[in-house]
Amino acid sequence: MVQEFVQQVVNGLVLGSTYTLIALGLTMIYGILGIVNWAHSELYMLGAFVGVFFVVHMQLPFLVGLILAMIVMAGFGMAMDLLVFRPLRSAPEINMIIGTLGISIFLVQAAVIVFSPNPVRFPTEFSEAYLSFMGISITLQRLMVFCVTLVLIGFLNYFIKHTMIGKAMRACEQNKDAARLMGIDINQVSLVTCAIGAALAAAAGTLVGPIFLVSPQMGLATISKVFAVVILGGMGNVPGAIWAAFILGLAESLTAGFFSSYYKDVVTFCILITVLIIKPAGLFGRSQIEKV
Amino acid sequence: MSKYVSTKNIAVALAVAFALIFPHLGFKAYYLHIAVLSLLNILLALGLNLIAGYAGQLSLAQAGFFGIGAYVSALLMLNFKLSFWLAAPIAALCSALAAISIGVPTLRLKGPYFVISTMGFGEIVRQIFLNWQTVTRGPNGLTGIPAPDPISLGFVRLTFESRVENYYLILVVLLLVLVLYYNLVHSRVGRALRAIRNDYIATQVMGIHVAFYRILAFAGGAALSGLTGALYAGYIRFVSPDTFTTGESINILIMMVIGGMGTIIGPIIGAVFITYLLETMRVFAEYRLVIYGLLMFLVILYMPKGIAGMLEALWHRLHSWKKEA
Repeated sequence: MVQEFVQQVVNGLVLGSTYTLIALGLTMIYGILGIVNWAHSELYMLGAFVGVFFVVHMQLPFLVGLILAMIVMAGFGMAMDLLVFRPLRSAPEINMIIGTLGISIFLVQAAVIVFSPNPVRFPTEFSEAYLSFMGISITLQRLMVFCVTLVLIGFLNYFIKHTMIGKAMRACEQNKDAARLMGIDINQVSLVTCAIGAALAAAAGTLVGPIFLVSPQMGLATISKVFAVVILGGMGNVPGAIWAAFILGLAESLTAGFFSSYYKDVVTFCILITVLIIKPAGLFGRSQIEKV
Repeated sequence: MSKYVSTKNIAVALAVAFALIFPHLGFKAYYLHIAVLSLLNILLALGLNLIAGYAGQLSLAQAGFFGIGAYVSALLMLNFKLSFWLAAPIAALCSALAAISIGVPTLRLKGPYFVISTMGFGEIVRQIFLNWQTVTRGPNGLTGIPAPDPISLGFVRLTFESRVENYYLILVVLLLVLVLYYNLVHSRVGRALRAIRNDYIATQVMGIHVAFYRILAFAGGAALSGLTGALYAGYIRFVSPDTFTTGESINILIMMVIGGMGTIIGPIIGAVFITYLLETMRVFAEYRLVIYGLLMFLVILYMPKGIAGMLEALWHRLHSWKKEA
């Protein structure tokens, strides 16, 4: 019983880490650019494929492959900002959602054509190594997901709090017009935001690809969960997204472990609706009155 | 001005006449099947258009409401031996109630909350169809659904067994829906919805209850989708969870966007066009979605009113040329 519980908690932390890394980019792009990016989980999917390319095909060490995948996808994120977000920036919100949804369909199907729809295995040097402790064994890969996520959160925190461009990002999030008047280049800030968001999503893909399988549909399966995380944390709220990701990851894996895996999606959805009824600004958000 | 209106009326009359004689033009049964599917898809696209095109809130639960309609009517007919004519309105009502339960917590908020909740809801509805084995028979679906009961008009007895009869049944429903739809869109409610879409704060200041009208549009669209589900079950005689996926919601969305959201003619054009392509180009299924995805992005960016908007612009240009000449 205890072993089962610990096992599910570990699974929950892995899921929570995945959600965190994807949700951070999503919530930052919403907070800073004002874009609801429905195609964000495709960055996670593409990141996993890029990871497979570097680690499995090029035979590079896992951590090197992880960093290269993040760099490649950061470039992809910038391209997405230029080609997709910038033209949509002044459109009504529903058009933004439909536009990025179109891009999501495009990327998934392009991946189906390029990589075939069948799931790909992603073996690494860590997937067969186990760490045993008091009768509980965890693969090193799972441990690594959690540790790398913590390191990346640390980096992101430093970057946002202590660098010039991080300060500019926070300024844009608070008030875009005022930031522009202070001489901040909004286009540059949004490029950096998209690069970071895409790199984090790619890290998630490369980290959990070896645990589950890599397939073109893996992004579609997570997008609604990640949006739920972003809403629970409060739209645009970075620390909120991290807490919400781990709460949801744990809730989901404990439900799957102790009740039925059919109900794990239902639990996420019920939490989401309950929060929207009681506290629409999210568990960690302050409600704001819109000023005109 | 009166000439402009009458030209439009002639076009509508011609289109209706064509739809009425279509089964007698000697096309293969396969094309008649596509025509029936087109009619069903027009109803679905019109349902989505009410909430997305007019009220400006995107729903990805439309396939879910379609499914609720199909399953509720099928189960009522199979288990309670209810008549189709009673089961169909109940099915529509159930879909509307489901829409209200999801709309009340989410439609009073500004932001993307609604889309995300509807997507989750659509997925859960499918999970219920799949996993509530004792009632829905899971992935095997429900078979042996009866056709709509015959109606006796005294001098003639109408049956709805064959494809042609179902075509006329659905066409008549569609025409009735279109009359209602046209009146709704051009009424106080329609104006309120468009005002909310264009500037919701200004509308609120004018004393219009934003959440109420949005929920009304959402429930109306869901009821329409539920009714379509009942018609679908009566025509295909078989329902299974595979039909009511998020992918189907996205198909409906593509039809509405490419045809032209926020117009009446748009969803009709889009549904006929895309249904025809979907059915005849099955071989290119993979490439089709790549193109649709990109097309959806480009259409929303460069011609947000879709084909209908393009036709209207063309019509105005022709009209102004005629005036100059």
